[in-house]
Amino acid sequence: MATRNRLRSLWAIMYYLGFTPMVRNPLFIPFVFSQPFTLLFILFVASGGVALPYGLAGALTMVTTELGLFVGTDLASYKIQNKFQDVVVASPVSPLTYMFGVALSELIFGAPALLVLFGLMASQGATLSAIITAMGVVILLWITTTAIGFFFSAYAPNTQNAFIINGFIATILSVLPPVYYSIKLLPPILVPLAEILPTTQASALFQGVIGLGYSINPDLSFGVLLAASVILLLLVSFKMRWREN
Amino acid sequence: MIALKATDLTKVYKHSRRPALDGLNLEIEGGQIFTLLGRNGAGKTTFLRIASTQLMPTSGSVTVLGLDAVKQAKELRERIAITPQEAETIYPLTARDHVMLSLRMRGMDKPTAVKRTAQAIEALELGEVADMNTDWLSGGLKQRVIVAMAIATDAEMIFLDEPSIGLDPLNRRRVWEQLTRLKQEGRTIVLTTHYMDEAEALSDRLVIISRGKLVAQGTPQSVKASFTNRSARVDVYSRFAEKELEPYGRVVEIAGRFRVLTDADGAKNLGEDAVARGASIAIGPVSLDDVFVDIVGEAEKGEEEYGDPE
Repeated sequence: MATRNRLRSLWAIMYYLGFTPMVRNPLFIPFVFSQPFTLLFILFVASGGVALPYGLAGALTMVTTELGLFVGTDLASYKIQNKFQDVVVASPVSPLTYMFGVALSELIFGAPALLVLFGLMASQGATLSAIITAMGVVILLWITTTAIGFFFSAYAPNTQNAFIINGFIATILSVLPPVYYSIKLLPPILVPLAEILPTTQASALFQGVIGLGYSINPDLSFGVLLAASVILLLLVSFKMRWREN
Repeated sequence: MIALKATDLTKVYKHSRRPALDGLNLEIEGGQIFTLLGRNGAGKTTFLRIASTQLMPTSGSVTVLGLDAVKQAKELRERIAITPQEAETIYPLTARDHVMLSLRMRGMDKPTAVKRTAQAIEALELGEVADMNTDWLSGGLKQRVIVAMAIATDAEMIFLDEPSIGLDPLNRRRVWEQLTRLKQEGRTIVLTTHYMDEAEALSDRLVIISRGKLVAQGTPQSVKASFTNRSARVDVYSRFAEKELEPYGRVVEIAGRFRVLTDADGAKNLGEDAVARGASIAIGPVSLDDVFVDIVGEAEKGEEEYGDPE
């Protein structure tokens, strides 16, 4: 497939699977992202507003994580329920174009939630460069969690399992670890475990750019995020089930 | 010109007790409608999925449009399209969105895609519902949307796995018309179906597969003609026990009555016997349905019955 056609293909997948559902069902977005915003609200109310920056860092991490993991549930649905992936496999669309198209469609669908959070960041006095840095972190975390979502979707025997597995992973990645709170509050024995998680590193970076100070060396955080995204993408490309065995 | 050639094609699924395809050999002429018939689990879908590059064979080979379906899958995918079995539409897309998505993701430019989408929608009489969310459509309309996604493409070979499932007789004929039109354009159509009238009306050639093996092939007429010793069917409504009918031919029980598949003399003799007994019977030529039941029944006689994924 020529590059021009590949771009058309990517655009079509993004447009019909991401943009169209967002425009037709805007009220669906708050439902999908209710959990991160609920936690943000609880933290805001319970702390009398003091913990709002932590809530923002947490919500940014959780929304991005969910966006990535939703790619897995979407792919499982398209493959198992709609059989759309069968249509795609027997067409000139490459696996990479398809995966990237579906991932971008999810990012487009979740863009309003991210915009609200960036707006809240700005209202808390975050500079433009801080917001741009946060966007970079969002992209790295999105790549990482998309790869995780894709990996598990490939092995999900049915869509119900895919939803349950991805819900569980979302909790493990973005509720339990220091995402809505500082890593300094964790018992020391749990710190190394938390530091392995890309969401901990992403939230630490968000907390830093929001002005809460870096609880982990930012170079280390970027390094872990970058390494996680590269390793997981490679893993996915090796393990990706395009033509079935 | 041979458009598809399968040689010793075998597929054994990981957790299966028997091969889904067992050394299948077949050839499909280009520009024809070719139908695969077989019971559930016979291997039809497995064959379609291997030939359309979705599934790896265990052994053997398939060449489609001169390209090896395993080694040259990338090139082949530019030239084929499929309608999967029991596919579902995507929420909240409309019928038009589905067809546009199918064409645009194949790299088609927008004006051509818009034109071809409109043609496919008109051809399958989806005009009134073209811009409605497909979740609101009936099962038959959704199935037509799924078929439209494949027939709107410019693929040289189209694989359709039970394309008319869930369609009423009028809409089935609408799909048949479109498949015939595609054939007239020189494209090759490979389909599976459980409707014998569909196979008979549409197919230039057909094969019957049983337990992953080819048990009959030819044109619908030649497959029926090969059934020379059972060219007639006699439906017996009363006054005969099954044992009394067995000397006349193969007896099949259908919904409380017996159908006897026999030759012309057998039908004549049974007719006379029925008149003597005052029994109600109906005599007619065998249908493809009868041939299918007989051939598959014969092929599977004595074999253990168990389900496996297609």
